[in-house]
Amino acid sequence: MSNDNFPLSRDELLRAYRTMKTIREFEERVHVEFATGDLPGFVHLYAGEEAAATGIMMHLGPNDHIASTHRGHGHCIAKGVDVKGMFAELYGRATGTCRGKGGSMHIADLDMGMMGANGILGAGAPLVCGAALASKYKKDGGVAVSFVGDGASNAGNFLESLNLAAVWDLPAIFVVENNAYAQSTSRDYAVAVDSYVDRAAGFGLPGVTVDGTDFFAVHEAAGEMIARARKGGGPSLLECSMIRFYGHFEGDAQTYRAAGEVEELRANRDCLTRFAQQVAQAGVLEQADLDSVDREVAALIDEGVAEAQQAPHPSEDQVLTDVYVSY
Amino acid sequence: MTGVTVGVIANPVAATDIRRVTANAASMPVADRANAILRVMAALGACGVPRVLMMPENGGIGRHLARSLERERKLGRTGLPARHVTATPVTGTVDDTFAATRAMVAAGVSGIVVLGGDGTHRAVAACCGEAWIAGISTGTNNAFPEHREPTVTGLAVGLAVTGRVPAATALQPNKMLQVTIGGGQGGRRSDIALVDVSLTTEAYVGARALWRSGHLREIFVTFADPEAIGLSAVAGLLRPVGRREPHGLRVWLQPPAEADTVLRAPIAPGLIEPVGVRRYETLAPGHTASLRPESGMISLDGERELYVRPGDRAEITLLPNAFRTLDVGAVMRYAARHRLLTR
Repeated sequence: MSNDNFPLSRDELLRAYRTMKTIREFEERVHVEFATGDLPGFVHLYAGEEAAATGIMMHLGPNDHIASTHRGHGHCIAKGVDVKGMFAELYGRATGTCRGKGGSMHIADLDMGMMGANGILGAGAPLVCGAALASKYKKDGGVAVSFVGDGASNAGNFLESLNLAAVWDLPAIFVVENNAYAQSTSRDYAVAVDSYVDRAAGFGLPGVTVDGTDFFAVHEAAGEMIARARKGGGPSLLECSMIRFYGHFEGDAQTYRAAGEVEELRANRDCLTRFAQQVAQAGVLEQADLDSVDREVAALIDEGVAEAQQAPHPSEDQVLTDVYVSY
Repeated sequence: MTGVTVGVIANPVAATDIRRVTANAASMPVADRANAILRVMAALGACGVPRVLMMPENGGIGRHLARSLERERKLGRTGLPARHVTATPVTGTVDDTFAATRAMVAAGVSGIVVLGGDGTHRAVAACCGEAWIAGISTGTNNAFPEHREPTVTGLAVGLAVTGRVPAATALQPNKMLQVTIGGGQGGRRSDIALVDVSLTTEAYVGARALWRSGHLREIFVTFADPEAIGLSAVAGLLRPVGRREPHGLRVWLQPPAEADTVLRAPIAPGLIEPVGVRRYETLAPGHTASLRPESGMISLDGERELYVRPGDRAEITLLPNAFRTLDVGAVMRYAARHRLLTR
């Protein structure tokens, strides 16, 4: 099955689905494994938000950088960080992406242009200004993408970064992943300027709002923004209106959500279901293609967990290595 | 509820689409949308309208409005209509507009003020029945709603809804395009458009807004306005057709490199693109064009909406007298002639 008028090739569509499915299954498995008590630290799950990370990251290469949030697993996977290394990292093992010392909230892979998850709200935005400035200075065509949630969008460091990126005309994209809750505080209560497009306009940047559960909407808008930045067109802001299936963190009782809200979201706003419907409507992939990817991803997840559980912890003499930088 | 009530539907996400980066299109801040409603309410209050019934939304317009109304109360500014909200769900999708419009009609509302672009007006027109629309443009291309200060629209609505201007003067009928697709792998589906229907070879919905002209193959318009932005302008640059004329226009397109006639048309704000024209003809009211499009999409009022699958046949019908809108200019001229706004 093929359609010459569809903007993504069959391989690209399969890659997009594989990425989204891998994120989903990674997070669903972390949800299960965290409950056993074997994973140290905190985890914040990206399940339900996969279309945003995937639709954006499909346009990035190894020369491009991203700075993530506390909810960073999806960004890592979409940017190409090794899934088995991520599982090992979450288990605190020496084979992990950061040799077991970063954990969920500080996972990073600079070789892949993933500058790190971050426990400080909005802290990725100034880092992205730095990466974008470096690319602009070196003229290497690189673009840097910052992710923040609707809560962090109120933080001073994020707003200062918008200003800096505009003033320096940086190849930077600011993505606001608006999942409607800052931890447990509704966006309706906590955000005075409700439209992130308005907020971008306040700094002289173009802003676009898309349905963040629609991979194709995100992919097209992000593609235009990233291509624009790569050509010297400067920064812009993308608001992805989206949902999360789990709580702010694993263990969150979610008393702030309406009864049945999550069930309704899973039933009607699942980005993976929507992707499957869209490719079927356009006649560009068969269900059998997606089923094949599902089996491949399931095997990867099982292997990743099994290998992580068997991997060694860092030795005592490695406790202080990789943690502090010596200048 | 008793007495006159005016419906208000304001789309919080109109004018936030991809054309902000592809065409430098403008956006109207949410705070300004709320202020526009305040100005409409002030005008309605001056005409003696006691209440408005609004669509609930989660984009911030209602919250801004609530803060502003509280501020007005503290400042001692009275005379604004009471604000009520329809008991309809908020999903952040076009379904909110459908549900709120139906609720307003069920509540006996005769006139609905709509703040949005062509898409918002299309959603209201699909459900408003005998209720009429007073449009205020806050969208991107906006061929359908007129650009006018909301205060004046509010005065016209107030005068019309309170019966001081006869309906024969105040209201105008509008054309509509009905699209039905079926016979192929995608099943039967149908929809409407207020301004334009286009066939494009671009085969995905993506970010919805139509902004690449090279994929266009055919356009149907209810009116062809050379002063507009978008596909109505493409048709209008060939042969202008007014909103009140009975017919529409059908335009066959082809890639500019192959066309004898190539327009330079403003298909989006700031985006003047070459559009190759093969031919065009008028579209008679009630006439149904039956066609078998190549695979791609059918776009409605500038947004990619309906997939065309192999074997599909599309029927496009120009419907006369499909719904009514308020003729603000006619109302205000009548008000001047009859001294309706003179103490």
